[in-house]
Amino acid sequence: MSGAVLGELPALPLHEAGKYVAGAYSVLFVLVLIYVAIMAIRLSRIERELGALLELRERSAVSEGSERSSALSGEPEASHPESTLA
Amino acid sequence: MYGKGLRALSIATIAVMAIGLGLVFFYAPLDAEQGFLQKIFYVHVPLAIVALCGFVVGAVMAIQHLRTRDSRWDLRSYVAIHMSLIFAVGALITGSIWAKGSWGHWWVWNEPTLVSFLIVFLLYATYQPLRFAIEDPERQARYASVFAITAGAFVPMNFVAVRLSTAYLHPRVLGNTSNLPPRMALTFVTCLLGIALLYATLCMYELTAKHTRAQLRALRRLTDVPAAGGGRLQTQPRRSRSAAPTLSSTTTMSARTAGRPGA
Repeated sequence: MSGAVLGELPALPLHEAGKYVAGAYSVLFVLVLIYVAIMAIRLSRIERELGALLELRERSAVSEGSERSSALSGEPEASHPESTLA
Repeated sequence: MYGKGLRALSIATIAVMAIGLGLVFFYAPLDAEQGFLQKIFYVHVPLAIVALCGFVVGAVMAIQHLRTRDSRWDLRSYVAIHMSLIFAVGALITGSIWAKGSWGHWWVWNEPTLVSFLIVFLLYATYQPLRFAIEDPERQARYASVFAITAGAFVPMNFVAVRLSTAYLHPRVLGNTSNLPPRMALTFVTCLLGIALLYATLCMYELTAKHTRAQLRALRRLTDVPAAGGGRLQTQPRRSRSAAPTLSSTTTMSARTAGRPGA
């Protein structure tokens, strides 16, 4: 069966035109590959920014919690790291 | 949301392109005149057709932007033109490769189809610098839309002008589709569909990425909560000038809450 199908197939590039056809199809492949690589870089940047955002949110939640507990116990306000203040 | 249906679209693109490649190399007969070299047309012609159609689609979306003043239409127009430029680069390179194999030259300056396509490509190559040159986002979007409409109208005019020209050195693939043997016609249509699907998929990826970034920016603004002591948490980095359109946080958030597609 497979032999009959293979017998019907046109000959693969063994002459001069082969390198040009391979080159043309490679162009499409390379373009798509470059695009996928750019998308991967963008995705990693978004992931990094989301991580930083989550970290900041957690830090502010911790500082809010400590502030609330100090207010309840009547102690003076806890100081906040300078780096997080504008 | 742009990401909806992206997986199905990606799978369809891969399937159609794989079928198209199979048809090109194992089903379509060899051309009597050009032999194996003619196989380049199954990638070169669809790339050129999709790129030109993409420019026109970008113009239609720019009209929508000017009509509605909705920045999402500007983003869609930008992405359509951006992707068409990439496809046009592919069409130019594959065309040059075919020309070298068939004519013995990488480029022929007295051939109207080649030169007109290059003119359209160079015209659209100025689209990104134009956007980058204008700092105010609203003005940038408006000027870019006007450019997209003008250049988009030039594409079909250019196509007709080339058709009317007398020199027919470049093979007329589109005009002769009805004369193609059925096996070649089926292969060509499958490849055209595959490249069109690839264009749509890449546009959707680009739109999803841009929309996600806009949402992230909106989220950053929301988390800019006041810290104890009156100060604010520093989460907003300085934004540099960009050629890419920006979706306002209100657009991003309102579309999200309304659950509208295409936000």
